Amino acid sequence: MPTQSDDSDRIALLQGTLDLLILKTLLFGAVHGQGIARSIQHQSEETFLVDHGSLYLALQRLEDQKLISAKWGVSENNRKARFYTLTAKGRKELDTKTSQWNRLTRAMGLILSPQSEES
Amino acid sequence: MFHRKQRSAEDFAEEIRSHLAIEADQLASEGTSQQEAARRARVAFGNKAAAQERFRLRGRIVWFENLRQDLRFAARTMFRNPGFTVLAILTLALGIAVSTTAFTWIDAVLLQPLSGVADPSRLVTLESIAPDGSQIPNSYPDYIDFRDRLKLLSGVAVTRPNAFTVTQSANDGRAERVWGELVSGNFFAVLGVQPQLGRVFTPAEYADTPNAFPLVVISDRFWRSHFHADPAAIGQTLRVNQHPLTIIGVAPPAFHGSMPVTAYDLWIPYMQQPILNGVQEWMLRDRHNRNMLGIVRLAPGVTLPRARAELDSLARYMAVANADVSEGMTATLLPLWQSPHGPQGLLVGPLRILMAVSLLVLLIVCANVANLLLARATAREKEFTARLALGAGRFRLVRQLLTESLLLAALGSALGLAATPLLAHGLKLLMPPSELSSLLSLNTQLNGRILAFTLGLCCLAALAAGLAPALQVSRMNLSAKLNDGGRSGSAGRAHHRLRSTLVCSEVALALVALAGAGLFSESFRQTLHIDPGFSPDHVLLSRFYLNTAGYSLQQRKEFCRRLETAMLSAPGVTNVAYSDGVPLGFEPSWWEELDIQGYARTRGENMNIFRNVISPGYLDLMHIPIVAGRNFTAADTEQTQPVMIVSQAFVHRFFANRNPLGAQVHGWGKWFRIVGVAQDSKYHYLNEPATPYFYVDFRQLYREDESLAFYVRTKGDPDTALAVLRAQTHAIDPNVNVFDSVPLAEFIGASLYPQRVAASLMTVLGSIAVLLAAVGLYGVMAFSVAQRTQEIGVRMALGAEPRHVQRMILRQSLALTLFGLAAGLLLTLALTQTVSSITVTNSAQGASTPLLANSANPAGSTRFLAALFNPTHLAIYTLSAIFLCGITCIAAWLPARRASHIDPMEALRCD
Repeated sequence: MPTQSDDSDRIALLQGTLDLLILKTLLFGAVHGQGIARSIQHQSEETFLVDHGSLYLALQRLEDQKLISAKWGVSENNRKARFYTLTAKGRKELDTKTSQWNRLTRAMGLILSPQSEES
Repeated sequence: MFHRKQRSAEDFAEEIRSHLAIEADQLASEGTSQQEAARRARVAFGNKAAAQERFRLRGRIVWFENLRQDLRFAARTMFRNPGFTVLAILTLALGIAVSTTAFTWIDAVLLQPLSGVADPSRLVTLESIAPDGSQIPNSYPDYIDFRDRLKLLSGVAVTRPNAFTVTQSANDGRAERVWGELVSGNFFAVLGVQPQLGRVFTPAEYADTPNAFPLVVISDRFWRSHFHADPAAIGQTLRVNQHPLTIIGVAPPAFHGSMPVTAYDLWIPYMQQPILNGVQEWMLRDRHNRNMLGIVRLAPGVTLPRARAELDSLARYMAVANADVSEGMTATLLPLWQSPHGPQGLLVGPLRILMAVSLLVLLIVCANVANLLLARATAREKEFTARLALGAGRFRLVRQLLTESLLLAALGSALGLAATPLLAHGLKLLMPPSELSSLLSLNTQLNGRILAFTLGLCCLAALAAGLAPALQVSRMNLSAKLNDGGRSGSAGRAHHRLRSTLVCSEVALALVALAGAGLFSESFRQTLHIDPGFSPDHVLLSRFYLNTAGYSLQQRKEFCRRLETAMLSAPGVTNVAYSDGVPLGFEPSWWEELDIQGYARTRGENMNIFRNVISPGYLDLMHIPIVAGRNFTAADTEQTQPVMIVSQAFVHRFFANRNPLGAQVHGWGKWFRIVGVAQDSKYHYLNEPATPYFYVDFRQLYREDESLAFYVRTKGDPDTALAVLRAQTHAIDPNVNVFDSVPLAEFIGASLYPQRVAASLMTVLGSIAVLLAAVGLYGVMAFSVAQRTQEIGVRMALGAEPRHVQRMILRQSLALTLFGLAAGLLLTLALTQTVSSITVTNSAQGASTPLLANSANPAGSTRFLAALFNPTHLAIYTLSAIFLCGITCIAAWLPARRASHIDPMEALRCD
């Protein structure tokens, strides 16, 4: 639950990383906004704090960029919800962004833990 | 832009609602109570309104959106106060129109490159420099040296502006005067001008052979007006100065010749001069004969300083090699607009003053509009307070105000720009009423530079006018305002200071305008009252161009003698005379380098003395007394020894303790004997100091290149003599025309021309400035008094008498005015120093005169004090100050009276 536990060991999402997480979440099929928020929070073992307001703006941004598309539908417990799916362009973007991210984390890792490099 | 189906804000809100519902469901299913689940879902979501706001603003540039809002709001505010808006826009339009016009003229005269030539930025003018530092034209032999020896220039051309008499058979053989240039053969090649029809001079025609090339290139304008743009004009014959010339080409429409601001119609090889103008061939080889303006093209990659250095060393070498004529001389290269020859030399001084005055007007306009805006900002304090209280940033408010002033300035600029073309035509009025004005060609069309200038002015004006109120708002104390219960009566201290500053600056600027106008008018009036030293009344001046009528030198002299005899017998005519130059004319005056027996010239001393070539009757006709010796007589002929009459200043300089009569003076390769001393008179400008001058006899020294002015003194109106003169001329030779007949008194008015322009410009613009400043001053005063209505009410409720209140306000206003006057006085004195250093020069020959007559010219700080304590100037400053104090008194007293006469209860309740 987003606010119930201690916030100090959670990490505010870096600018841009939220987009990547959303795209990744949508890789396995259509999900609605609330589901995406939950999924990110859950899969990161409650590390990430997702600001729901920002999430919807990010979704809108990705939709404007034609990386995802949206359609109104009905949720598992019969609520009206807006479902998002990855477009072909979004899939490509995810690939590029993921490899970029991997390179970044590797580089960061190298710099932040130099002893592993020397050993 | 492609069209995209916009997702509605409602759809977004719907999604948020659905999110909250699902989240709540999930929380409930995890065991939270229904109510708590809904609350937690809302908390987790955060600021719903902010998300929706950001959704709406997504994809838009926020500042642009704000600007749009500001503009819309500004427009609405402006519509609500149409009176204020119209006043502000009109004032701004006036200020901007005046400044833009001044700039248009400066642009046309100084900044626009020569039109119709290739790469005009590489063209510069070549000036010889006399030992005394004045810039003078070049001689043909000098030109040949420059042309053949300078390596850093890709071409050197020379040109001499010349008026020709053109007869065209199609035109009933009637003669007309057409201005053109006598040019070196390579002229078009150096300028890079391609003909639109026919050809220009070919390299074979660049040669220095006299009279070998009877050719002419005509202007597009001339081609259209005289040949109806008929291509068959090429190859036709044009009779110029009675000699046939073959038209070989038509210059392109954009090309008007080698001088900025001037439009010529004919280009004829310089080497045709002996035939066309009857100039002796030896004169072309004479280094003394300096009448050619040099225009040169820098070689690719060569900078002006390098080319200048090369020219300088060559010129210095030539000065040594031809020491008999060129000793101590050098030469330099200047950008075209800096050339002292041609109209721009005349216009630069007045234009600089004009620009300064225009900016002064604009400053006053800005102060006025700032004041209006400030008054309105005060009236809108409640609006601003409300906006601040509702969370608007101060920066946003400042921006709002600046946007408003920018909108005003933009509208004013647009209006001003629209009015500029009307004003720009007025430059023609600035030109002296001589032949020169028909030569003038000004391109005052809107161009990028002018637009940029106006845009800059617009922004500056917006900033100058809008900054004060904006700063005031940004400093507004919110809690004080709110606690004030919305009363606008108590103006803060900073506010008060701002207003005082405005009053001071309005007064200062008004003083500058007023005193400036006064100083120029006074200087003009003084000049008008200077005695020229001769009597121009009842004298008719006419011109003959006998050389262009194909007369030989001997025939010209004979013509003069016969016309003189004929005119003397005419009724009402008392004197007749003729000469080469006309005093106080708007024309170059010529000099001769003299050697004076018994006078040891110092090294580098300028011995070029101005002169005139006159008939024996000239001094009598002009009423110039002979103070010693005798006048020229009929006994002085070509066969007797040349004689000379010198001026008193000449005697003073060269014959300190000696008797000048009988002394020998060398000039034109001959020895002259001084036979008389004439009283000093004015030769070039009315306000010139006594100048050494000499006269020689017409018959003894009249040359082919000299012109002929004919004077007739009558008993009554000199114009009556014109008909007789025409008839007599016709009787002698029907082919000769009398040109440019004008009473001499009118003609010499031209010498006052620069001062007159400066005086009238300053008076017109000064009046506008004073009017604006008076209105502005009144506005500031009236408003600041009105602001104190409550305070006045309190004072009166506590027992102050109305006249006490009035006196208090008057006293405070006058104190402010005095501050302003002090500042204005310092500013004016500083400006006067600058202006008095501006001189004007007539078309050539180095003589120049200050625009602002200064009786005394001590140096430095004494000069500063002298300017202040000069009695006339002191009177001007005092009168201006008294005038402004009067305006302040009225401006402060009227509202003070109103305020002190209202019921104190009313005043306290107001607002």
